[in-house]
Amino acid sequence: MATRTGRSLLCLGRTHIRALGLQNAAGRVTYATEEPANHQSRFTGPPDRRNKGPFAKKPRRNEGQSRAERMSVDQDWTAVYPSAMPFRANTVPLPVRMGYPVKGGVPSQKRGNLELIKIPNFLHLTPAAIKKHCKALKPFCTEWPSALDTDAKCDEHFPIKVESTDYLSAGPSVRNPSARIVHLKVKLSSLNLDDHARKKMLKLVGEKYCKATDVLTIKTDSCPLRKQNFEYAMYLLTVLYHESWKTEAWEAEKTVADMEEYSWEESPSQKNLLDILVRMKVAGEGEGEEVREQLLGRREVQEYKDSVTRLKNEGDSDSTMLQYKEAVKKVFNL
Amino acid sequence: MAAPMALRRELCSLARILTGISHLGPRALVARSGHKKYNIIRSHLPQTPSTSFHTATVFSSTPSLVTVTEEPDVLYQKVSVLVKGHDRAVLDSYEYFATLAAEELGVNISKVYEPGKEIDRLTLLKSVHIFNKHRVQYEMRTHYRCIELSHLTGCTAQVFLEYIQRNLPEGVAMEVTKTTMEKVPDHILEPMWKDHPVDDKPSQ
Repeated sequence: MATRTGRSLLCLGRTHIRALGLQNAAGRVTYATEEPANHQSRFTGPPDRRNKGPFAKKPRRNEGQSRAERMSVDQDWTAVYPSAMPFRANTVPLPVRMGYPVKGGVPSQKRGNLELIKIPNFLHLTPAAIKKHCKALKPFCTEWPSALDTDAKCDEHFPIKVESTDYLSAGPSVRNPSARIVHLKVKLSSLNLDDHARKKMLKLVGEKYCKATDVLTIKTDSCPLRKQNFEYAMYLLTVLYHESWKTEAWEAEKTVADMEEYSWEESPSQKNLLDILVRMKVAGEGEGEEVREQLLGRREVQEYKDSVTRLKNEGDSDSTMLQYKEAVKKVFNL
Repeated sequence: MAAPMALRRELCSLARILTGISHLGPRALVARSGHKKYNIIRSHLPQTPSTSFHTATVFSSTPSLVTVTEEPDVLYQKVSVLVKGHDRAVLDSYEYFATLAAEELGVNISKVYEPGKEIDRLTLLKSVHIFNKHRVQYEMRTHYRCIELSHLTGCTAQVFLEYIQRNLPEGVAMEVTKTTMEKVPDHILEPMWKDHPVDDKPSQ
């Protein structure tokens, strides 16, 4: 408290303040506008300049001990630095040095050190202060529902994820236009879609679907506000869902080239295999549909069908090629 | 010494804020202005003229500062806080502060990591006119720090983020990415064509 008194006393001007001795009882702060009680009687006129000349300096009073030296070890530091304040060398009782040293020297001391004042300090955020603040903030927090402790459970009950970003920086404006962007992510397996609806949805959506994670991402940034973009994204999802359940008349014209997956029935591979087997006379003499049907029912033919389908859908890999080789050997008894 | 002075100061601003904010509904003020000091506003304090705030009437009854509303809380699966600054030491201290605050408030920290720094370099002419062979180079280094929190409720996220953001040091920027969880809305549960069969329209 002595420094506060000292600061306010300095504000009163260059009169004989030392003699005034303002007493601050119970934490009253004296402001510069307050008239001290016995101001009039102590003011003895302009200072004596007979021996010094017109430009002599006023004698500097003794500094005395700085506040840091008078601090006790068990004081409440949160009262010394209650909020973000610049570094004050005689308030912080640490022997701190900062700055690039001169040749053969050490970094400069803290007294009058501009580097220590420039850098943001965290003296107001000591662990004790943080604990105090959090204790006061704790009643405003709510508990996370205990039934949703794993990500899997969260996905099951809340499958739609909405992502948005807030930006905070110093500058001429508080606003950031990128803050309006909204990403809506949903797993297609959590939506009620049948086979046709799912295929149509994938065709409608195109690039926005990731096959590896089964996640559909809708990114909206066409509206100026985040709320509007979110509502637009939900609208798009609704439209996609309902449109994919609808079957249009022209969908009947779907050709083999439009198919998403390879199917062995009615394919050239099936025709060729059956032709070869009939010519090899595997099922005995005879031509016609019944022989083909009988051949199709055979186990080796089914295995061949599986291996070809897998090869076409999944691509070339060791296991698929191996399976195809085994199936071919079995079908032709090699 | 500092605390009673601060309280009195906050109360004078409280008067101004209360008269302005009383038109907001009860929902808005559960964690509004969660300043780390004591000026949390209660939504249904009576509208008194500002002169009465200089008396001790506000202190006489200790009002509960927390308002509970019926509105369901938002659920955040992930909140990712990315801080950017030019000084790595400042970000180190800030990370310590943020992680300690999260632990104290019971927030789940899933990951704290440091993405690589980015250095922006440019080469300019040293002189105003001619002397092309003499250039000067500047660089701007941006250091990053990312704190990922998981499983936060809306109220907790609001409180924590406001606390963090009010104590953001000068020269540091922040980006907060929130992932909200939503239920599948009712109009997507079943296709509408079951109840409203579509008429044959001419195909596009």
